[in-house]
Amino acid sequence: MAVGQRAIEAAGLRHVPGRLERLRQWWEQEDVFGYGLILPALVLLTCLVAYPFGMAIYFSLSDYWVGSPGQFVGLANYREILGNETFRQTVQNSFVFTGIALTLKTVLGVWLAVLLARDVRFKRVLRGAVLLPWVIPTALSTLGWWWMFDSLYSVVNWTAIRLGLMSAPGPNWLGQSSYAMAAVIVVNIWRGLPFFAITVLAGLMSIPREFYEAAEVDGASSRQRFWHVTLPLLKPVLAVVILFSTIFTFSDFNIVQVLTRGGPVNTTHLFATLAYQIGLQGGNLGQGAAISLFLFPMLAMVVFLQLRYIRKD
Amino acid sequence: MTGTTRREFLKASAAASTGLATSLALGRAPAFAQKRELTFLSWNHFVPASDDELRRQAEVFAKQANCSVRVDTMAHLQMPAKVAAEAQSQSGHDMYRSAGADPFLYEHLHANLDDLVDKLGKQYGGWYPFAAEMNQTKSGWKGVPWFWVSFPGNYNQAHFKKAGFENPPKTWAELLSMGKVLKKQGNPVGIPISHCSDAHSTYWSVAWSFGARVIEADGKTPAINSDKTAQVLDWYKELYAEAMEPEVLSWDDAGNNRFLLSGKGSWIHNPVSPYNAALKEKMPIADDINHHNSPAGPAGAHSAPPILGIAVWKFSKNVELAKEFIQFLFKKENYDAWIVASNAFNHPPLRHLADHPIWARNPKFAMLPKEAEFGHPRGWPAKPSDAVQRIDDNYVMADMVAKVVNGMPPKRAMEWAQDQVARAIKGQLKVG
Repeated sequence: MAVGQRAIEAAGLRHVPGRLERLRQWWEQEDVFGYGLILPALVLLTCLVAYPFGMAIYFSLSDYWVGSPGQFVGLANYREILGNETFRQTVQNSFVFTGIALTLKTVLGVWLAVLLARDVRFKRVLRGAVLLPWVIPTALSTLGWWWMFDSLYSVVNWTAIRLGLMSAPGPNWLGQSSYAMAAVIVVNIWRGLPFFAITVLAGLMSIPREFYEAAEVDGASSRQRFWHVTLPLLKPVLAVVILFSTIFTFSDFNIVQVLTRGGPVNTTHLFATLAYQIGLQGGNLGQGAAISLFLFPMLAMVVFLQLRYIRKD
Repeated sequence: MTGTTRREFLKASAAASTGLATSLALGRAPAFAQKRELTFLSWNHFVPASDDELRRQAEVFAKQANCSVRVDTMAHLQMPAKVAAEAQSQSGHDMYRSAGADPFLYEHLHANLDDLVDKLGKQYGGWYPFAAEMNQTKSGWKGVPWFWVSFPGNYNQAHFKKAGFENPPKTWAELLSMGKVLKKQGNPVGIPISHCSDAHSTYWSVAWSFGARVIEADGKTPAINSDKTAQVLDWYKELYAEAMEPEVLSWDDAGNNRFLLSGKGSWIHNPVSPYNAALKEKMPIADDINHHNSPAGPAGAHSAPPILGIAVWKFSKNVELAKEFIQFLFKKENYDAWIVASNAFNHPPLRHLADHPIWARNPKFAMLPKEAEFGHPRGWPAKPSDAVQRIDDNYVMADMVAKVVNGMPPKRAMEWAQDQVARAIKGQLKVG
């Protein structure tokens, strides 16, 4: 074909491009083709992310009830929820929940990753098994935990009492505020730990051995190697994992909904469960949206700062 | 390029329009669309045999009416969200099992069923007043009362006998005094104080029996902060400390069932489902379980039984077919078969249908139909409203009681609840 083209040009005949050819030339321009490639992703993002998000913001600023569109009311919904003691309790719960769960997930996650990085037998099986809690559908695995925390048939209490660690009947896991909070945090850690461990493990694997060898030559103890080699080099990975986990943990829903439905006395409600209760069960979509969007400015700030920090590194 | 040429397109569309013209001329839908499909969203019944019977009747109806009927069921706790989603998108099933204040929440989205309700009422000796109140809005009947679930006392006769009590408690005060003895014996009583619907069913009963209200009859004035409520809270506090165990703070709706069936609990306030479950599983404890009418208080006996209805969406294309189906379900032989399948769990809201021998025959069920006489919709004496539903959805009373049993002074807990009730009402006034 190319030869043919050249032959025609050599013969001095002017080439008149056909309709199809012109379309192809237009299509092959870099800016057209490039945008064409990202168009499908853009359409998906617009329909599945931007549109619902925009709707949520609109709901939160309007007096919108299920099946009855309302008027624009400005920040009235936000003022209303701030005046509600249950919501203030929820804000407090969310910070306690996320703070404790995230700290423990980070510490335990790094620890687990360091253990998994060792050369042991059945290394692959072990690494796969660690991922299990992350793979099983949360609603399902949480039901298992719910049964383990049951007031009457708690296997946790039964075992601890038999081992003499607790006096009968043991704590009422889902019925007393602090125990219930502890229970949902434990399940969140159990569920989120694999994500931490495996990601950090990947980070560990990418640290060149030479650094450790150099440190050893300089006489660094294993603790010093961890603090001065491992941790600083893990920082970028850790920052990303913590960023993701902060968002996941703040917006957790399944675990609380299955275990306590926000009880006892709203002491385990998180933003998502309260928004569900008020927005969908209670029908007040406006307030429900306001509750779930309440954290958005703060989380956006966290994301912005962390991403900037990562880029600087 | 080979594609559809203009000529081919013309040919195809001519053929299509001829077909359309034919079916229009014949006055019926083309064969592939002839069968109408009626869809019904219901709950997973606590007695599964009841759903089997419902599906069987749906099939019979489908044959008669030359349509197909699809009955979908889902967990009762997920129903509100699903119904809200259908209301929001104005699409989904043709009809659904309504509960609480659904007819009021979606008043303008439900089809009007005045004629059907009127017809059934005349046919079967009239509706019980409470059942009717649940579905009659300002713009007419927005649902047909389908059935109600008695909420009596369930007790373990053996435990009561061992503690020296021949008869079950007639009043809430008696329950307290008996409960103290029973707890010492190792068989506490149990009323959930947690985020579950049973917690509120019992709260309404107790509160009304003490003469307490949550909202005034006008439906606009919060009334929970009162001396009467303070009495209710004192009663709960004493019952919690001396006749119950902290596990009641963590129960879901099945918590009290497990408590009674485990053999530990001596008394719960619940539909008769534990007994039915024990029978079905052939558990020996079935012999020990018996029922008695919901206890009374200084202001008489009252109860807040779950009352369920059937609503038809206005957006449905099968409103008339749905009404026919409802009428079919209410045929005496069908309704009777359904009562039997549920083993007396489903109570008819129509007087004459309540004469079914299943209750008279079994001494453990004999008192159940009587419960209809003192049942009220939640929120009573106010009309059922979405505000009442919100108070229930937000577990306001369960939380108020939980605060008190955990040591908060009743006065402060009531002030908190009053604020929550006021917020629920304020939301209601905004609905246009």
